[in-house]
Amino acid sequence: MKKKLSSRFSVILFIIGLMAAVQYNTINEPDARDTRDIWEIRQELSREMQLHSELLTEIGTVDDTLSKYEDASNESPEQALKETVEDLRSAAGLDEMTGPGIEISIEPSPEAVALGLNIEGIAPDLLIRLVNEINRHNGLYISIDGNRVVNTTAIRDINGTTTVNTVPVQTPPFKIKIVSKTMDDTEKLYNHLMSSRIHDDFYIDNLSVIITEPIDQLTVEAYDKEHNYQQLEKVEGE
Amino acid sequence: MWLSILGLLLGISLGLLTDMQIPPEYADYLSIAVLASLDTLFGGIRAHLQGVYDDKVFVSGFFFNIVLAAALAFIGVHLGVDLYLAAIFAFGVRLFQNIAVIRRILLTKWAEKKEVRELQG
Repeated sequence: MKKKLSSRFSVILFIIGLMAAVQYNTINEPDARDTRDIWEIRQELSREMQLHSELLTEIGTVDDTLSKYEDASNESPEQALKETVEDLRSAAGLDEMTGPGIEISIEPSPEAVALGLNIEGIAPDLLIRLVNEINRHNGLYISIDGNRVVNTTAIRDINGTTTVNTVPVQTPPFKIKIVSKTMDDTEKLYNHLMSSRIHDDFYIDNLSVIITEPIDQLTVEAYDKEHNYQQLEKVEGE
Repeated sequence: MWLSILGLLLGISLGLLTDMQIPPEYADYLSIAVLASLDTLFGGIRAHLQGVYDDKVFVSGFFFNIVLAAALAFIGVHLGVDLYLAAIFAFGVRLFQNIAVIRRILLTKWAEKKEVRELQG
């Protein structure tokens, strides 16, 4: 009888202890205050909506591929697979891309030349700023001084030299090529860059940005290095 | 006795170590549940000391009180009346009463033991 009583009390006390501990955890959790104002929330919302629409587009593409597979499964599955591989290769930057685009040449500013200033290499921060400015538009293929910019590209300073994909960028002048899918996109990018503040940022470093008119057929080089997959892991199952 | 304390320690350490949390909206319900279970526990101890302990009453009372208290709080939230105050009040008063009774019983037992020892000595 006594043993039974003791075990009952133990179980009840265990439950009480658990509940008290959970309550303690819940009460002591510092609640992060939301201090964003309406404008920041709107921006957040617009970011999320953009993400939403991008995801929808992606779903559409994947659905297309799926239906292509289904159509082709009877005829030639290899063909569909090959096409997918091609798509993925071009998305990863392993293939050359040809299309409408613009060419930007980074040159020493005329004032610096006239004053006989020493022209130094471009700073990585400035180059990153330019690439970010370009990347505001989606679906672009960029190469900097012959080096293709892919998702894993690092623009950084190595021993005092600015490098792209660990290849040093020439001291200006050098060229940046940007190819997009349609002429419309290229024109949009051209107008955006022409009115952008990037010219002022470059001028501070005694450089000038010269942007060509949109060209019908421009080719950006393929990414010629091994991709670094160290951080990638295989997803198991569905 | 020791088994019970072990159970309590096990429960607390499990709760703290797993860092379990419930949504803050439900914290009220849990606090009432804790109060109800404490009430039942002290009721059980009192009944045991008075010699009227019944297993079924104790275990059913434990769960029934918790559910009743949570239900009262739930209804209160939906009616806009702070009904959980009623539960807190009822359990709080009973808790004090039970503890008072337990204290008196223990005091009496202690006094009796002392008397017996004095008589023996």
